[in-house]
Amino acid sequence: MLDRRSFLTTSSLALASLASPALLRGARAADADLVVGAPLPMSGAFAANGKFAALGAAFAAEEAGTVLGRKVVARDLDTEGKPATAARRVQEAMSEGTRLFAGGILSSEALVMGKEVTNGGGVFFTTAGADEITGKECNRGTFRWSVPTHGAIAQTVRPLIEQMPKAKRWYTITPQYVFGEGLLGAAKAVFQEKGVEHVGNSYHSLAEKEFSGYLTNAIAAKPDVLLILSFGAQSSDTLRQAVSFGLKKRMTVVLAWASGLEQFEALGPDLCEGVYFGAQYWHGVDTPLNKALVAKVRETRKFSPNYSFAGSYLLTKLLLDGAAKAGSTDGPAVAKALEGLTYAGLTGEEEIRAADHQVIKNYYLLKGKPKAQMADKDDFVDIVSSGKSFLSPEAAGCKMA
Amino acid sequence: MIRLLERPIVHFALAAATALVLPLVLRSGTLASEILIYGLAAAACNLLLGYTGLLSFGQGIFFGLGSYAAGLLLLRAGWPVLAMLPAVALVGAATAAAVGWLSIRRQGVYFVMLTLAFSQLFYFLAYTLSDLTGGDNGLLNVPRPALGGQPLSNPWTYYAFVAVLFLGLFAALQRVALSTFGRTLLAIRDNEARASAIGFPVRTFKVAAFAISGAVTALAGALHAMLIGVAPLSNIEYHTSETLLIMTIIGGAGNLFASVLGAAFYLVAGDLLSAIWPRWLLLLGALLVAIALFMQRGLWGLIERAAALVAREPDPNAASADATLPEESRP
Amino acid sequence: MTYLFQILNGIGLGMLYFLLAVGLSIIFGLLQFVNFAHGAFYMLGAYLAYTMVERGLSFWLALPLAFLAVGALAALTEAVLLRRIYAQAHTFHILATVGLALAVQEIVIIVWGPIGANLAPPDSLSGVVILGDFIYPEYRLFVIALTALLAGGLWWLLEGTRLGAIVRAGSEAPETMALLGYDTRRINTAVFGLGAGLAGLAGALAAPIRGVDPFMSVEALSVAFVVVVVGGMGSYAGALAAGLAVGIAQSLMATLWPEGARLMIYLGMAAVIVTMPRGLFGRA
Repeated sequence: MLDRRSFLTTSSLALASLASPALLRGARAADADLVVGAPLPMSGAFAANGKFAALGAAFAAEEAGTVLGRKVVARDLDTEGKPATAARRVQEAMSEGTRLFAGGILSSEALVMGKEVTNGGGVFFTTAGADEITGKECNRGTFRWSVPTHGAIAQTVRPLIEQMPKAKRWYTITPQYVFGEGLLGAAKAVFQEKGVEHVGNSYHSLAEKEFSGYLTNAIAAKPDVLLILSFGAQSSDTLRQAVSFGLKKRMTVVLAWASGLEQFEALGPDLCEGVYFGAQYWHGVDTPLNKALVAKVRETRKFSPNYSFAGSYLLTKLLLDGAAKAGSTDGPAVAKALEGLTYAGLTGEEEIRAADHQVIKNYYLLKGKPKAQMADKDDFVDIVSSGKSFLSPEAAGCKMA
Repeated sequence: MIRLLERPIVHFALAAATALVLPLVLRSGTLASEILIYGLAAAACNLLLGYTGLLSFGQGIFFGLGSYAAGLLLLRAGWPVLAMLPAVALVGAATAAAVGWLSIRRQGVYFVMLTLAFSQLFYFLAYTLSDLTGGDNGLLNVPRPALGGQPLSNPWTYYAFVAVLFLGLFAALQRVALSTFGRTLLAIRDNEARASAIGFPVRTFKVAAFAISGAVTALAGALHAMLIGVAPLSNIEYHTSETLLIMTIIGGAGNLFASVLGAAFYLVAGDLLSAIWPRWLLLLGALLVAIALFMQRGLWGLIERAAALVAREPDPNAASADATLPEESRP
Repeated sequence: MTYLFQILNGIGLGMLYFLLAVGLSIIFGLLQFVNFAHGAFYMLGAYLAYTMVERGLSFWLALPLAFLAVGALAALTEAVLLRRIYAQAHTFHILATVGLALAVQEIVIIVWGPIGANLAPPDSLSGVVILGDFIYPEYRLFVIALTALLAGGLWWLLEGTRLGAIVRAGSEAPETMALLGYDTRRINTAVFGLGAGLAGLAGALAAPIRGVDPFMSVEALSVAFVVVVVGGMGSYAGALAAGLAVGIAQSLMATLWPEGARLMIYLGMAAVIVTMPRGLFGRA
């Protein structure tokens, strides 16, 4: 049993450990460092994306080395996939002087963080999916790299309709929330314009895991094309079950908003074969910056960069370039430096549109190739086509204050 | 020493000390505010769990509802904060009374499952009524208006506002727990059949406990929405209910300050560990198992043990380890 | 016509739900123990089957091995940890098993990584059966047939054998059983292992349908609870009926009102608890 003295020691240790949050915080980065915050879901259901995005941010920081005479450090901030935690993490980081933030994979987190960071005089750059980020909820301090739903549909559905003039019947499976509605609305507009028949749609909830019921509906409608508008794990589940129902043999299957390599790895080549995917990024894209990145990552990290990694890398790099150009890390100054910037990006020439802070970049239509034709273990798809389609800032609903 | 630890005034003093010490040891005003907010919600959860013997997975309903109500009243209706708070408390109390009234028809595991079902139901409502709640994106742009000319935008100014409310509500919860009403709840917890036979309107008492707990939890939710500038869908999720319960049980179900301790421990440990190791939930899981096995009176039980050592008194846990939760809460 | 197919499809889902939930129900019936870690055993079964098949083992061997491995692991957990808290209030059952489930989830992420994976059905069952406009995967038909066989076997085990009699008696009068010289502790461990092993088997069977990922346990747990509560805790027939009811309801809702599928299931559960406190088949 403890005696009184050892109890006193223990309790003073306990007191010290209570005080340690402040101490630890102070010790982690020297004040002279230039810190880029990477608020990402490191734990929770989106930890896989968070992990690679954190590696991407660290890679960009390492590559940049020194900016404005200060050593660049990327610091992960675990949002746990929850907007509340995300808001707290960026508030805390800002109170420690961080002004540049690259991250926010989930829409709900990104929307909240964009506002917090802007209010605190910083800049937030994200790859999240919600159109509102550069639409209705756009603001001075928030930038977005990923193509909105309108462009994603335009660059997947349009080329396929042109390629397959005989495919006149399309069926959609849509998650029922703002993001899904965005994709569905855009798809319906294209269908109407191109004279394609939309033979049915199944909505599903955000928690759905079992899609056999929806697939049964889809089969009954006898479509030529099944267009899956779900995102992340749900799109994988839908595709997996669609393949088990033999749909790949009866119709063309399209997944408009795929996550790219990380998703193909989880699905495996057999499921991906013959399926069309829409994607923000693919490591096989033939641009100088991307080739350099892929070569360097393969050499030093022994994997091919996926969307989470590459996106986070580019966001961090752009923020650092902006800071260098502005000569400061002050939010409004960096934002000003980024507005209207045209640069050689991962997807070719990219432009940061000044009016709504949306990056104008390519979206890709990919097609899964047979396992036998894969050049290496990451060579899941061929690029079918790519292009840029964007609504005007006014049409997207952005009124910058 | 042990006696001292049982006195409510000491619990209140500890709560006040916590509110004073947090700014000294934490760099983040946001984390400090979050600790008091969750501490309040956990104490309200404890009123049901520790004092009434009701293990409710529905506390997240009231927390989330409080966030939404606060957001809508401040943002859409433009109410001042001081008018919004009582309204939110009323919404919380009314909803909790309704949920409680339906759930207490069953006991034990079935009661738990009913509260789980309600938690799913309200989550679904929040998710579906996206015009009001923002759905998956959350209700954005919740403002933090100035209070009587004093802006609350600085994290520590807001913390001061939260701390004042925290102490006021903590004292109010204590008064409830110490009143005849609170003692009756304990009697119901320990032996419901007997309390009923004596002539207590057991159901009314349980519903009232729900209403009080719901009001305080909703207020905590409102403070939380103002803290982070959004009423997120995750606030009304099952996960929030689970977190509140875990905080309460980690602290110890014996008294209200223990819940504040549990919330502080959960948040500070999470904050520290997640920065070091993304898989920190593994340690949390192990801790929960350890608490169930060895420390059923939670962190507060540890403090009591330590105090007993210092005072060389017999270990209070030895005699009353099983008294924390009643036999009755089994089916 | 679509409705008919949806009902057929629902039966397929329901049989899997039955297999998942019946273990939870048996454990509750015998031990009065609320096991929030049941979903974790389901997930472990799925991951073990996935790894064995990845390493070149036949799927047909992986199924029984997943059952045995998960069952053994669960029995060990019961003997070392859980048995110590049976005497506590339900709060601590829930706390300990929530903690256990959390730990298992994180261990799975550490061992297998945070990204999920796909497990293809065995080649012999990778095709589809076509009935007019209706298409159904052979593998799902196999799952229905196998779970029906297992349901029969389990029925016989619980109702027709000496072991079953002991288990049922143990749940109704543990003291008498102990007086009669039965080692109730060993029975408890065995039953816990059996129940968790069945969840592991359900996970292994579900893996080719839904893949594996570190968060599949949470989803499985909520389904299992609904089935057990609706069917009546501890009731074998209840788990079967409720499993089918939930599966069919879920499948039909995909046509009728997809967004409301979960809502209807939980509303249904609440209605059953309020009107039939012991579930459809629970013993009073």
